[in-house]
Amino acid sequence: MKNVFDVIVCGAGHAGCEAALSAARLGANTLMLTGNLDTVAQMSCNPAIGGQAKGHMVREIDALGGEMAINTDVTAIQFKLLNASRGLAVQAPRAQSDKKAYQFRMKHTLELQPNLTLFQATVTGLIFENGKVVGCRTNLDLDFHGKTVVVTTGTFLRGLMHIGQNKNEGGRMGDSSAKTLSASFLDAGIELQRLKTGTPPRIQGRTIDFSVMEEQRGDPTPTLFAFHDTRQDSDLFHVEQSGEDRPGWEPGVRQISCWITHTGDQTAEIVHKNLCRSPLYGGAIEGTGPRYCPSIEDKFVRFADKPRHRLFLEPEGRSTNEYYINGLSTSLPFDVQVDLVHSIPGLEKARILRPAYAVEYDFAPPTQLFPSLESKKVENLFFAGQINGTSGYEEAAGQGLVAGVNAVLKGRGEDPMVLSRQECYIGVLIDDLVTKGTLEPYRMFTSRAEHRLLFNHGSAEMRLYHHARKHGLVCSERLQRMEAKKQTVEDWTARLNTGRTPNGTFGELVRRRESDIPFPSEFNYLSAEIRSEILYRVGYEGYLKREQAQVEKVKSMEGLRLSPGIDYGRVRGLKKECADKLAEIRPFTLGQASRISGVTPADIHILMVHVKAGLDKKASDRPEAAL
Amino acid sequence: MISTDTNHQQETIAAQATGGGEAAIAVIRVSGPLVPGLVSAIYHSPPPPPRKFARGKYRNVRGEVLDDTLHCRFPAPRSYTGEDVLEISCHGNPLIARSILRDLSARGCRLAEPGEFTRRAFLNGRMDLSQAEAVIDIIRARGDRALQVARHQLQGGLGKRVKEFIHELLEILAGLEAYIDFPEEDLPVEDPEGPVKRIQRLDTAVARLIKTARYGALLREGARVLIIGAPNAGKSSLLNRLAGHDRVLVSNQPGTTRDAVEERIPVGDHCIRIMDTAGLRSHGDQLETMGMRKTLEYAEEADFFLLLLDATLPHPALPVSLPGLLTPDNTLVVHNKIDLLPNQTVQPWGSDFKQISLSALTGEGLDDLEAAMNDLIEATNPVAAEEFVVIGARHAEALETASVSLEESHSLLLNHEPTELAVSHLRTALHHFGEITGQVDNEAMLDRLFANFCIGK
Repeated sequence: MKNVFDVIVCGAGHAGCEAALSAARLGANTLMLTGNLDTVAQMSCNPAIGGQAKGHMVREIDALGGEMAINTDVTAIQFKLLNASRGLAVQAPRAQSDKKAYQFRMKHTLELQPNLTLFQATVTGLIFENGKVVGCRTNLDLDFHGKTVVVTTGTFLRGLMHIGQNKNEGGRMGDSSAKTLSASFLDAGIELQRLKTGTPPRIQGRTIDFSVMEEQRGDPTPTLFAFHDTRQDSDLFHVEQSGEDRPGWEPGVRQISCWITHTGDQTAEIVHKNLCRSPLYGGAIEGTGPRYCPSIEDKFVRFADKPRHRLFLEPEGRSTNEYYINGLSTSLPFDVQVDLVHSIPGLEKARILRPAYAVEYDFAPPTQLFPSLESKKVENLFFAGQINGTSGYEEAAGQGLVAGVNAVLKGRGEDPMVLSRQECYIGVLIDDLVTKGTLEPYRMFTSRAEHRLLFNHGSAEMRLYHHARKHGLVCSERLQRMEAKKQTVEDWTARLNTGRTPNGTFGELVRRRESDIPFPSEFNYLSAEIRSEILYRVGYEGYLKREQAQVEKVKSMEGLRLSPGIDYGRVRGLKKECADKLAEIRPFTLGQASRISGVTPADIHILMVHVKAGLDKKASDRPEAAL
Repeated sequence: MISTDTNHQQETIAAQATGGGEAAIAVIRVSGPLVPGLVSAIYHSPPPPPRKFARGKYRNVRGEVLDDTLHCRFPAPRSYTGEDVLEISCHGNPLIARSILRDLSARGCRLAEPGEFTRRAFLNGRMDLSQAEAVIDIIRARGDRALQVARHQLQGGLGKRVKEFIHELLEILAGLEAYIDFPEEDLPVEDPEGPVKRIQRLDTAVARLIKTARYGALLREGARVLIIGAPNAGKSSLLNRLAGHDRVLVSNQPGTTRDAVEERIPVGDHCIRIMDTAGLRSHGDQLETMGMRKTLEYAEEADFFLLLLDATLPHPALPVSLPGLLTPDNTLVVHNKIDLLPNQTVQPWGSDFKQISLSALTGEGLDDLEAAMNDLIEATNPVAAEEFVVIGARHAEALETASVSLEESHSLLLNHEPTELAVSHLRTALHHFGEITGQVDNEAMLDRLFANFCIGK
């Protein structure tokens, strides 16, 4: 093996997989290092992909040439469209995954990917030269050199797992932690802090009494994540079918149900009686946990008036009898966990296969990154996933894709790909992270986006088409199909808005929600997905225009790049506290600067004048063009 | 180039270019792409040649005259900012300048940020690069002053009240967002009525606060009370009687008063500005007709009306545009010359209007009039004195636009439209409240959401 690469990706979780694939697909000679090749794309927590805002991001990943969407479609065991009764903007696909199938197909995809080398070794440190990263060291005493390095360590940086007073080092049950890598970051001046997350017990299916539970089936017609109308059929393969002439895998067949139960009459009492033995309440855990994913201890303490909490039993796959108890995350000691599980209707005799645990890990506060996900402290070093303080497979994958693309572009000396918060959830995610940082594991919610109505999941390809084209993220055939689709949607939207019927334009009929609208027959030949997008644009025209107008207002500011080299302390007219903030965040655009807390409109005008006057530039460094 | 990109999709901005407060004239400057269309829309006449002053009546979006003004347009790029610019010189009354600014924002302009005209001038190349530092100093100084004014206002009741609004709005938003973002959670059954009622209550509270802005102006400027009535109904006599001296030439020749006369008179706790005008009638010489037109213009600006009737004569017909302005909340009907009536009974005018009978000649009934006027002004005061809040034009605009968004979201929810559409308007309202107190981070909404709902599938 030649030990010199364009891009090295450390980690093979959801961020690492997308980073490695996107880099290799852009033609970069890419190396992926992982401590264990059998845990590629492992779902360490719940066996599901998608849901509100997350499902939107998975579709965005697909539009940008990523793998998560198609990998989910092919391997999932249940599909459900959430919020189906609400408007299109807040509907989201969600799938129950077959954990092993997901991993196998992803690993095989990595193996088949040209330009990508996989290697099993634990990264123990980074190699720096002149303040830049140039490679990494491994536990095998093998060094690897790369122009750029993407770090996706997940919960493995000094990972510490808690079950009651029992503590184990590791990022995930059964895997060891990366202990020495943290020191490498600290040496480079990168600040680290602690976060905490948790996972519930897994139980054996044949010990569950499903008869007392409510069955939750998937949708008869699955809503898929990938844009199959622009993708190629050959993308649809299942591992055992690769190489066959016709893949023939049909997503959504043979779905498996989830089951709903709730905490029992004794559960609260068991929790309260044993609170003192919880490391969360005993003070043994210092990291901050997520508010949206509280442990069962938290639920009973903070919502004491709620007598019981709903729990979901989710199958972990087709080839296993293991079930995940969604809603029962805890760090209580194992003997208490047994009592807890047995207090739940239907689980009176359930056997625990793996205990619940809480895990603490290091993350690098993401305000230390540029929106390209490159470190401000160390050039050519990129971060993606939980190391940036996020939570969730989808959040990780989105960052991984962006980091992989930008690692390649950086190596080639090109401008980075920056997704804006006005065009997609991944843009919102990264902008929030690098501008505001986070105090808890950051999860995406649709409410985080200012322009949610523009971000319906079906429009992801059309919103991100220009990035896919500019950077060649998808093959030219798909690009052409994407463009044709975009054109069809735009043409038909205009046509329905102006086309007349005896009772007004088609647009008016749609907005009046009339039934049996006599659409032109060609319209009915369009695919259901395209029709739904057109009808959304026509039906919500007023709202979408209003939000689009708000987007246009900030566009000029988003387009004005600020040089990372501006010495804010010397910008005339800026107050010191504002200059300090700007110097810390080093915003990429004026728009990002305006979102930093404490920066006033007057400061923004001053910056604008400063940049225009060229006061921020030396002769060698001319003002950069707008994005 | 940066400049071409920043000019793209530029908003049109407006602000008073002269200092606030009373002055002979106030200049309002408007800059941006909307300007060419604004001139004919406002003045109902073709725009004057560039850089030439024209006189005209400023009409608001509803077509009502706000003031008689001079205006001058400066087409791009030969203007202060390098964009299309319109300058409007209006009368120096702050109320007029403010009503014009309010109308401009109804027409799609927004109030300029401190130093924004100068910044645009600079970015459009209207100033030399060497002036950059001077420009920065101007922006800094204006920004600081605006900040000082804002801080001063926020220390008063305004900041406290708006923070209460924000608190309530965040609670409402959290309640709606929880059901959008966490559809699979075990939340209480969604109650569509709750948010509808809460938004209604919030909007009512905002509307009350906006009213105090108007009431505040009444206190500072004095309520404008217009006496209207047929010629020789005794308007001048009444004014003299109220003012306590002979100010206006009184004669029994109809139509003596040709110009409007203004008098400041204390009434109860208030100072009012009484305007006596030429009589209203359908015929007369040219001068008289002009005076009457003036009366109708004043009527547009008046806060209150005294409709003065000659109790000895049948009720006269009023010019058609007038009765629409008169409501029981802003008008007292005064029957004069009761000393000439044998039985002192008068024929009431209109229904629901308060009727006062008096004699301007003898002074009989005058106390009744003063008490009734005091009651009328007090009735417009929406809050007790200790709750009174001072509100500047910028903040009043923010409150008004927030109120519009609240109403939009209210009607959407009422009609069972998708929640996310209503939320879109509520967030706009939150943004406008944020213009007063500083913008509210989305994290604040999430705090409420996770505090109020047990989320955690």
